[in-house]
Amino acid sequence: MSEETTITRRDALLAAGTVAAVGAGAVGAAGVIGLVGTPEQAGEPELVAPYVTGGIPLDDPGADAWNEATEAVIPVQGQQLVPPRLPYAGLTELRARALHDGKTVAFRLRWEDEVVDDLDAVYRFHDAVAVMLPMSPGAPPAITMGAKGAPTHILQWRATWERDLAGKTGVDQIYPRVVHDVMPDDVLPPDTADLYWVGRSVGNPLSQTERTTPIEQLVAEGFGTTTHLPRTDAGGHGVNDGSGWTVALGFPARREGIGAPLEPGSTWSVAFAVWLGHQQNRGGRKHYANWVRLTLAPKS
Amino acid sequence: MPKVSNWQLGREMEYPYEGSRPERQFCMIMDTNKCIACQSCTIACKSTWTWGKGQEYMLWNNIETKPFGFYPTGWDVNVLDKLTEQSWNGDVYEGKTLYEAAPEGERVLGWTPDEEDWNHPNLGEDEPTGDADTVPYMADKPHSMMWMYYLQRICNHCTYPACVAACPREAIYKRPEDGIVLVDQERCRGYQECLTACPYKKTMFNLETRVSEKCIGCYPKVEQGLQTQCTTACIGRLRLTNFLSKPDAVDPRKPADYLVHVKKLALPLYPQLGLEPNVYYVPPVHVPVDYLTQMFGPGVEQAIETYNSAKEDPELLGLLMLFGSTERIIDTFDVKDGVARGYDGEGKEIVAVPLREPTFVRPLEFVSELKGEQVTGYRHNT
Repeated sequence: MSEETTITRRDALLAAGTVAAVGAGAVGAAGVIGLVGTPEQAGEPELVAPYVTGGIPLDDPGADAWNEATEAVIPVQGQQLVPPRLPYAGLTELRARALHDGKTVAFRLRWEDEVVDDLDAVYRFHDAVAVMLPMSPGAPPAITMGAKGAPTHILQWRATWERDLAGKTGVDQIYPRVVHDVMPDDVLPPDTADLYWVGRSVGNPLSQTERTTPIEQLVAEGFGTTTHLPRTDAGGHGVNDGSGWTVALGFPARREGIGAPLEPGSTWSVAFAVWLGHQQNRGGRKHYANWVRLTLAPKS
Repeated sequence: MPKVSNWQLGREMEYPYEGSRPERQFCMIMDTNKCIACQSCTIACKSTWTWGKGQEYMLWNNIETKPFGFYPTGWDVNVLDKLTEQSWNGDVYEGKTLYEAAPEGERVLGWTPDEEDWNHPNLGEDEPTGDADTVPYMADKPHSMMWMYYLQRICNHCTYPACVAACPREAIYKRPEDGIVLVDQERCRGYQECLTACPYKKTMFNLETRVSEKCIGCYPKVEQGLQTQCTTACIGRLRLTNFLSKPDAVDPRKPADYLVHVKKLALPLYPQLGLEPNVYYVPPVHVPVDYLTQMFGPGVEQAIETYNSAKEDPELLGLLMLFGSTERIIDTFDVKDGVARGYDGEGKEIVAVPLREPTFVRPLEFVSELKGEQVTGYRHNT
């Protein structure tokens, strides 16, 4: 456990100013601290999203259009507020840019990660990044993915889902030389064979390999409460150049059915999280950034 | 952290959730002395539940040779090593449980097998141990031989499951009606915290659906009053699927209550870990007691004595003979007039087994016998 990434309960209390007990899940488990921040508390760095015309290249995180935005260096730290914690941090910062065009709000996120982890297997986890937004402007809810009655809107990109889109997923990809005996789908009607993929047949979004976007949208009211939103209107693409991931992701600014729209000229809070698959990051074992101010430039 | 009562430890212990013991607990009794490791149970389970793509490596049920067999490799010795000293004072456990020994920031003291640890389910098969210098491999007396035995393993459907404690999404739950522990296939997000936490290593990750799965206690059968697939496929008739009452509501007419609480013949697997596991084992009679005490707790010597004298205890003998006699779950049993009977929840007889099979004396029908000559061999009627 590295000293610089250790957050004690006391630190969290002092940093927050306000303590909100949020759903801990386990009764009597280690206290869950809700940090109710404000944009002022978030302080620097600040993210400014210029207003652009001519579209936002969600499918190309290397496109020139992203250069219109100033890059903010956002510190991240290992999640040690509640179990399961990240015992050590493998990353110190995330580089973020934001754009909007009145219809779409988008981010380009870059972090160092030389190892591509895009297959889920036995104790093998994927690289991922997430953006968290409040439901309305003003003081954001707890950094712990919100709190009961104070939900947050989360967009998560996973390397696994990029691979799903390419149709390269599952046992045959994890173990390329695997030889199968007769499988249920070889001999049973599809409806019956699907019963052997229970997660898929009951509709678990994590189990689906047929997808149209590598971005999942979620709402959460605290750690352990993430709930999938069955919508596909967020898009993006991630590329690893051997030194790290660069991921573009965007979503409709109107956020219909989710929260208040992100209007041009408005100021919001935004937070981020990064998972390094090869360091067994998953779920709460993640790197997170505290709330930072996000300003959407007015229409020019 | 709340305190819960763990009868297997003879004391209270810490657990992340309030205790909510089900009215009756799904359980299984295994008579280790009867197992020949034929793996019929393993295949029955595999061919029923885990022959899908993505489940190739999964064995919700497995039989391993002790002391050198493991699935996954080293599952028990690793957790015992991490827990360090485990001491009993009589029937009271004085060491720490996996919850009490959890490192800061974790709910359970766990460890994670490597990927290849799942690749050798028959590791150590039939390997005996003992002092080969002093004990002949083929000894005069069976019990002075070098030893090994077979351990039958399914999910323990623990009263205080570590998988439930560790899941940050509360995607694993214990059914209030029968205590069967299930992974909610809709809610799981594949974090695999349960794999690290479960000391018995009985949750497994599906490579295709990317969520965790585990032994479901054959609940679709249990809900119909039927014993599990591994039980009914057992040719050694060593298993009994049953229900265990709450410790303060023991009913000696019920098979599991009788074997676990009354006769104390069937013992939990590594009770010191603190999960209150609900698969109960009749310990092997030929294995050093120290080893067995580590594995099954302090009741081993008494259990072996009880088992060895079962032939003088018609009630116990009768119940053991009801194992494997019916697919239905036996609610109550009795032994009268040399016959063991099992009854359903309404008291209706569902099976009757004589303690002694009737002996038929074959009439003298062979020429040699009719002539009064000595019979030197047998002949099968064809």
